[in-house]
Amino acid sequence: MKELDKIFARIVQRVNINLREIDFDVNPFAVELIPPDQMSKFYAFYGITPDHPLDLHFQHSALAGSYFLGKCQVRNSLLYKSDIRGDELKRKGDTVTFKRFSITLTNDEMIDIRNSALVKTLVHNYSHDPETPEVFFITDTLAMDYANIHGSPTDGSFLGPFATVDLTTVRDSVIGAYSYIQAGEISHLHIEPGTIWVNSPGNFNFYYRHPPEQLEHYISLSPDKVPWGLLIDFIEERKVEFQRVFDVVNLKEIGSVPESAKVDRYAVVLPNIKIGENVLVSQRAYLKNSSLGRGANAQENCFIINSTLEGFNVTAHGAKIIEARLGRKVFVGFNSFLNGNTEQMLTIGEGCVIMPHTIIDIKKPLEIPADHLVWGLIRNEADLALNSLPKTTLSAVDSSLTQGRMHFEGKGGLFVKALSDRIDHILEVNGAFFANGENDGHAQRNQKLSLNTIQPFQFGPMQGMYPTITIRP
Amino acid sequence: MENFLVKNLMVPISEYATVKVGTRLIDAVRALEKAQEAYTTSKYQHRAILVLDDNDNVVGKVGQLRALKAIDRQFDCNEEIEEVRKFQFSDTYVAELREHYRSRGEVMTVQTLRQAANQKVEEFMQQPTPGEFVAEESGLDTAIHKLVAGTHLSLLVTRDSKIVGILRIADVFAAVFNEMASIES
Repeated sequence: MKELDKIFARIVQRVNINLREIDFDVNPFAVELIPPDQMSKFYAFYGITPDHPLDLHFQHSALAGSYFLGKCQVRNSLLYKSDIRGDELKRKGDTVTFKRFSITLTNDEMIDIRNSALVKTLVHNYSHDPETPEVFFITDTLAMDYANIHGSPTDGSFLGPFATVDLTTVRDSVIGAYSYIQAGEISHLHIEPGTIWVNSPGNFNFYYRHPPEQLEHYISLSPDKVPWGLLIDFIEERKVEFQRVFDVVNLKEIGSVPESAKVDRYAVVLPNIKIGENVLVSQRAYLKNSSLGRGANAQENCFIINSTLEGFNVTAHGAKIIEARLGRKVFVGFNSFLNGNTEQMLTIGEGCVIMPHTIIDIKKPLEIPADHLVWGLIRNEADLALNSLPKTTLSAVDSSLTQGRMHFEGKGGLFVKALSDRIDHILEVNGAFFANGENDGHAQRNQKLSLNTIQPFQFGPMQGMYPTITIRP
Repeated sequence: MENFLVKNLMVPISEYATVKVGTRLIDAVRALEKAQEAYTTSKYQHRAILVLDDNDNVVGKVGQLRALKAIDRQFDCNEEIEEVRKFQFSDTYVAELREHYRSRGEVMTVQTLRQAANQKVEEFMQQPTPGEFVAEESGLDTAIHKLVAGTHLSLLVTRDSKIVGILRIADVFAAVFNEMASIES
């Protein structure tokens, strides 16, 4: 047995041991997850920048096609086409506040990945766990295609395809396909597919679950099969264009990008793209025939096709916008799928918040009025009426609200404010407000980023594994 | 004081209302009415129906509450309510949610009654739990303990591994308080 197989078997066993109490077996889902012949085919790469500490350590791991930035160590793990972005990690001397505690960091924070398998997974942000402010850990965990581990230390857990854990410490839990969890801390939970849960205990609690039969059309997962559905097909159809940007060492510069904007060299940019000031386009983003106005961003694994974004738009990790017009400051949450078409345009008014993991898939033109909160599965006007609210209406909710499959309890005003503050924060860290040399963010700082590649063993029992490597300035 | 055994107080299964898996609710209720008419041993009437599989093993029980749940539309929403409860919503919210679902539709309509009448018993029967069985040679102490601890309305009485009767709470109650009354007098 090759080392790659041994390590994968060990990871699967460790995840299963952690999940024994909720009686979940990851074995059937792991069968086709890591294609061994692919693991030696792709190089890994890392960023060098004056703005982030460089401290990478890889040991007894496979890293095919994965990207690393900042401080990160990977041990006894398999990473496949995953992005480990340490550009928002906390620094030595930073102080974080958690309830009545003010915690000062004694070291730079580090992403620590051990005994885990991550497939096409994004790891970003920083640990929000007050118990481990200096370590953003991912241990004994298996994450499937297009999962997001965002500011969420995770231990002993399984994330299905397109699952997102956000600002949450996750222990011994199963997060179903296309579920989004932002709940501070969870343990021993089995979250069903298509669950959207945003909980701030004592303040607000938002819950929605996609209708299971209808979600299956978009993403399905069953034992012994690779995930399938419209979301997977959509990405697969555009795979070949990504191969070109990863195969070619020196790509032709994309013209007409303002100096204050950054389009990553690992983004796919097809003709007729207009990029405004302070725009950030991250790697593995896909742009075609679209316009991104001042301060807009397209984060990892985003697709923006035949669309116009007026400006200050957040297109969060994995979101897809097709044939749509988005007003200023429209937020599109993680992994959302906004699917208009040439004849049937989707129009979203200024200031709307499209909740993470929302699906809008229309056969007739649809217009969403300004300043609405939108969630769930929307295929027509009737669905929109059931799955949206003016932000002012939600702000007025004082105790609870049930609308369709959505359940809300708590103060609506606090919920709307938390969303609004977070959107402003995301724009700020991405450099959307940069002016006169001030308020710089990722769009400006990433200008000074260069990339190096590292290669795996190509032959023998270690094929696909990477040698032990430490990279420091 | 009389030392009752479970077998002295039980109703033999042959005198109880039984139906097979696959029976419609309305036919199960008719079977109950028939059994009630035939039963004259006690003034307390049967209130439940036992569900048997093809080998005549008891696989479930339909009491009055279960039958009403089959009619009440909110029964269908219980799964969703339980799911919501898992996500840290308060008891107050969950209670409001139940009321919300209940108010969505009337229970007593021709359509809901017709729909419920055609439901198969296995869709809403209660499956026996381990604490619900008592051996026929057991004393009344054991039976009382099981009824109280498990808040059961009846126990399934076994001989070896076969169910031979039903011990109803009404008969145990009557036996206990007859004895109590005789001591007092």
